[in-house]
Amino acid sequence: MIPNRTALGKATDAVVVENLRKSFPVKGGTLEAVRGIDLRVARGEIFGFLGPNGAGKTTTLRMLTTLLPPDGGRALVAGADVASRPQDVRRRIGYVGQRGGADSAATGRENLVLQARLYGQRKAEASARAAELIDLVELSEFADRPVLTYSGGQRRRLEVALGIVHHPQVLFLDEPTAGLDPQNRANLWDRVRALRATGTTVFLTTHYMEEADALCDRVAIIDHGAIASEGTPRELKQCLGREMVLIKPGPAARPLEDLRRDLAAERFVEEARIEGETIRLAVGDGGQALPAIVARLQSDGVPLETISLSAPSLDDVFLRQTGRSLRDAGKGEQS
Amino acid sequence: MKLVTDVWVLMGRKVREALRQPTWVIMNLSLPLVLLAFYAPLLHSLAGAPGFTRGSVLDVFVPGMLVMLAYVNVTAAGYFLLMELDSGVIERLRVTPVSRFALLMGTVLRDVLAMVVPALVLVAIAIPFGFHPRWAGAAVLMVLLALLTAATAAASSALALIVRKVESLTAVTNGTLMPLLLLSGLFLPLSLAPQWLRVLAHINPLYYAVEASRDLAVGTIGSATVGQGFLVMGGLAVLAIAWATRVYRKAAA
Repeated sequence: MIPNRTALGKATDAVVVENLRKSFPVKGGTLEAVRGIDLRVARGEIFGFLGPNGAGKTTTLRMLTTLLPPDGGRALVAGADVASRPQDVRRRIGYVGQRGGADSAATGRENLVLQARLYGQRKAEASARAAELIDLVELSEFADRPVLTYSGGQRRRLEVALGIVHHPQVLFLDEPTAGLDPQNRANLWDRVRALRATGTTVFLTTHYMEEADALCDRVAIIDHGAIASEGTPRELKQCLGREMVLIKPGPAARPLEDLRRDLAAERFVEEARIEGETIRLAVGDGGQALPAIVARLQSDGVPLETISLSAPSLDDVFLRQTGRSLRDAGKGEQS
Repeated sequence: MKLVTDVWVLMGRKVREALRQPTWVIMNLSLPLVLLAFYAPLLHSLAGAPGFTRGSVLDVFVPGMLVMLAYVNVTAAGYFLLMELDSGVIERLRVTPVSRFALLMGTVLRDVLAMVVPALVLVAIAIPFGFHPRWAGAAVLMVLLALLTAATAAASSALALIVRKVESLTAVTNGTLMPLLLLSGLFLPLSLAPQWLRVLAHINPLYYAVEASRDLAVGTIGSATVGQGFLVMGGLAVLAIAWATRVYRKAAA
């Protein structure tokens, strides 16, 4: 027997998950929330975990952060098993939940000092670390005000600071930019990248495709409790093997749905869907398809505002994998 | 030791929270004070009746009010825990290496402190109206009340983590509140009660607390009643804290 054949992971892996399972009792049976997933996150990587509501995203995250005991399989986080050595995992990870978890009645500084103390820092050490973080996340002006007076962006910056008080090896972020405006979102992305530069591994869930695309080194898509695909955003988009034709008809055009149906019947078109005021066509070869589509639209007398050829987005990958658009799937997601 | 530091630091968090909103002292005191003003006068004609043979009427009545103060307010502990669950604070703390026991005790000990302050105010207010506490007994009484508060806070928290809904929690705490208070002999000594009511009272833990606190207020520290009170309250506190720690450990907040 080859030694190490079933040994988990490499020394360079920050997260290793093998056959991880979790089910919950529900009315009339059990819900298999996570059905034996495998994952590997290398040290120093920004890893994105994508999936619609109820896909098992948050359940997985809760197992990896020791909040929920797994039913089966194994998970090593920062070198420790979540089931048998949760205390070691807790010492080595940071976690920023969807609801944040800052104490609203307390000031930002009090929150940070408390958090540092809970990780075993002495009083002076904790105060110094809090001051350092307040500078880092640019909260100096608000540090001694109660958190309930903070704006959404300020609050989120404090919560990220709470997650990294103890220089964790792996930082888990659950929907970190949900509800943030574009400016604050870009600001948070910069912070996450800066963390990676210091060697921190970041594991985040998101349903913003552009976030996964712009920020993550690798992503995994989870659906119905199983990993649908995993790879770099580029790999995932390439393996789709398609290009996208984006058509925005002029104001006097026929109803979009009519147009979509006609175009879907075209020879080169593999898939056609509507997104806002745009029809997105998945085509095998854009060079061949584009002229044919333009000719068809012209002969039908459809006025065009814009038509363009683009690489598939991660959302197209997601749609392909799950049959749903992540944009829709993510709507109203709270849990 | 890490555990002691953790409890201390977490208690500090809750104490600061209480100090920011000092109105709770008045809120906690309002019911006992109202009863002292508008209910206690009704008892004066009972002086000398069974149960009122020792000391003044207030020496019998105020110890009951102290038990009520140590019990009623803190039944809401679970409600505040649910609010903190909602805000994600508890979840954030559960991912740190802090022990679940420390997480629970930080709040429980704050609740004990928050009981002692209005209790002392109540004693001070009652003295000019004819309450004559013995100081040694009163000090021991505070310890007994602390056990009652700790037991109630822990039990309310455990229950909250199990039912997870404010409505269900309120149904349980409010549903048991009046029966437990009435059956403790807190408003009127149970020596005035018919036999069956007295028998029923013996399954009510609060009854033992009330009886013991009446002894302690008049300075009878070494009585069997006091011993029983401590046994029941101490046992309950240990059980409730063990239960709540277990629930904290298991709960997927």
